[in-house]
Amino acid sequence: MPDVIKVGVVAYDPKVVTIWEGIKDYFTANRIAMDFVLFSNYDAQVDALLDGWIDIAWNTNLAYVKVHRRTDGRCGVLAMRDTDVGFTSKIIAGAETGIESIRDLKGKRFALGSRDSGQAAILPAYFLKQNGIDPAKDLTTIRFDLDVGKHGDTGTSEVEVLNAVTTGEAHAGAIGDQYWARALAENVVHSSKVRPIWTSPGYCHCNFTVRAKEDEQRFTRWTDVLLAMDYNKPADRKIMDMEGLKRWIRPQMDGYRALFEAVDDLQFFN
Amino acid sequence: MTFNSSTSIDAQNLSAADGLLVLITRALDKLKPGEVLEIVSDNPSLEHDLPAWSRLMAHRWLGTIPKDGRRSHRIEKGSVLRVLIDRELDWGQRAGIKDGRFDTRDWLLGHAAQIRERAEPSDGFAPRGAAVERGSPDFSFDVLDRNQAWSESAAEFYEQATAGHWDGSRDIPWSALRPLDEELERAICQLMTFLAENEYSALYVPAKWIARIHPHFAETVLFLSTQVRDEARHIEVFVKRALANGGGLQFSSASTQASLKSLLDQEDFIQASFLLSVLGEGTFLDLLRYIEAHAPEPVTREIARRTRIDETRHVHFALDHIRHALRSDGTLKAKLHQAITDRASLLSGVKGLNPLVEESLVILAAGGLSSGRLPSGMKARRQLYETMHENRIRRLISIGFPDREAEDLSELHTPNFM
Ligand SMILES: [Fe+2]
Ligand SMILES: [Fe+2]
Repeated sequence: MPDVIKVGVVAYDPKVVTIWEGIKDYFTANRIAMDFVLFSNYDAQVDALLDGWIDIAWNTNLAYVKVHRRTDGRCGVLAMRDTDVGFTSKIIAGAETGIESIRDLKGKRFALGSRDSGQAAILPAYFLKQNGIDPAKDLTTIRFDLDVGKHGDTGTSEVEVLNAVTTGEAHAGAIGDQYWARALAENVVHSSKVRPIWTSPGYCHCNFTVRAKEDEQRFTRWTDVLLAMDYNKPADRKIMDMEGLKRWIRPQMDGYRALFEAVDDLQFFN
Repeated sequence: MTFNSSTSIDAQNLSAADGLLVLITRALDKLKPGEVLEIVSDNPSLEHDLPAWSRLMAHRWLGTIPKDGRRSHRIEKGSVLRVLIDRELDWGQRAGIKDGRFDTRDWLLGHAAQIRERAEPSDGFAPRGAAVERGSPDFSFDVLDRNQAWSESAAEFYEQATAGHWDGSRDIPWSALRPLDEELERAICQLMTFLAENEYSALYVPAKWIARIHPHFAETVLFLSTQVRDEARHIEVFVKRALANGGGLQFSSASTQASLKSLLDQEDFIQASFLLSVLGEGTFLDLLRYIEAHAPEPVTREIARRTRIDETRHVHFALDHIRHALRSDGTLKAKLHQAITDRASLLSGVKGLNPLVEESLVILAAGGLSSGRLPSGMKARRQLYETMHENRIRRLISIGFPDREAEDLSELHTPNFM
């Protein structure tokens, strides 16, 4: 391992600094020298990983796919959050639109999140196509291209999609299930105006990406210490609540297949 | 696939956005990790909503199956604790309500009845008996020991205090004031000025300690807050009396201020309480009785009477508190002795009471400045000082000081009374 392990993190919100100062303290307490490097967008972070400026990148699924492509599949993955597995996208529809299934979407106004958001744009568009609706031909799409470069991390575009469907600006739209579950729990969903009609197959979201498979071994100790973080310990809980997980887990790589297919199908990197 | 449900709830058509998640959360709270909750529902959105929510909350989503024309959703409770507490919550004990009254003395129920030898800094502002989440911050309260802060009778004195509150604007017969002989009015205004400044110390000293005593000793804190409230009213009526009859606020002496400052500067709760309440407020009881006895009009008389009743409570609370502390701490008596001696040497420059106050005491008792009545005023004041000294000794003996020591200590008490 290098003297100080450098982890790249995209600063999508000021709280990222608080979270990562906490994680750094946690590693220090476990006698691992770690520091974090902030990036304003995932493209810059991916470049920095490939150039060796950082050792580990805390990547979205889209950033991971990009690294995978650029390393010809030689990159490795160390860990992910429990909440990064079984992630889904939802299609929500206005309650009065009569839309009950994907078929009913034809010819409708459809809201999508930021163009680089896996959960609110890329994967929903791909899944719709798989189910016989080509967004380019069959829908009038309304795109909320907010915070581009941050791969939908800020969630602002999903807020706009929910608003658009609630107000009727769009007949239906796509959002990630994490935002949907939060919106339900936080009492911001009007059940008389909007309801979910479809849930995508599960896929994986973020992970800690390393340049090469061999690095998975090089960073074993870092990964083991990360995985030992305990939600039932107050200090750990503070960090985990902010980062949105209850447990760090080993990577589950089959959850990325859909996104690989989606970026090919949509020719996203071309 | 077969499910083995531990509990089932019928959610009818309730949607996740309209309260179903609260219903589910409360139902899951009653289960152990690994147990399964079944939600039977007619709402078609749930098969989209519940998997997302379960994932977010780290429960395991087991899926949806049809059931009698409806849908049955299953969630397996996850292992993370929703709240980091280490014990069961109290439940099932009712308080004894007598004649419609819930007396504070009867609130010692369940965990609220467990008075610790030393309070836990991280219990912070949680009421005694609440289950406090692990990871709560340490508060900087510095009176943490039961021996310092707990008093068996605080709840009783607290009840007396709340029942005895009065209104300084309305409960004093203000309209009965008539113009007085100028010298007599001036003497009363001077005494009121002196009383008010003393009352400020009687307000600020307990107020300072409220902020430093751990809330675990709630009864003490609640009682002290009534004391603060009482002293606010005392300041109010003394200042009002000085202003009400065409006189005004008079002199405040450097020696009085020095004496009062030394009370506020005390850094030990029991010692502060001893000096302020047992010795200071105790001495004030005789002063107020004197003013009541010699007041030339009903307003001053009523003010002295009402404030004295409050002061009696403050003195008795402190006597009781310190008597208990002395019983459990063998070193405390020497410390209290030392506190009086230290204060006396600190105040060695204070040779006597503010002379204007001393004269006012004579004029009040004499009913004015007429040469014929001054001797009786002088006699009354001499008598007052003797009574103050005797009663201080009596109080010191009552908390456990030997006669001889009590007499010495009373003599060392500040000539400022408070
Ligand atoms: Fe008072
Ligand atoms: Fe008092």
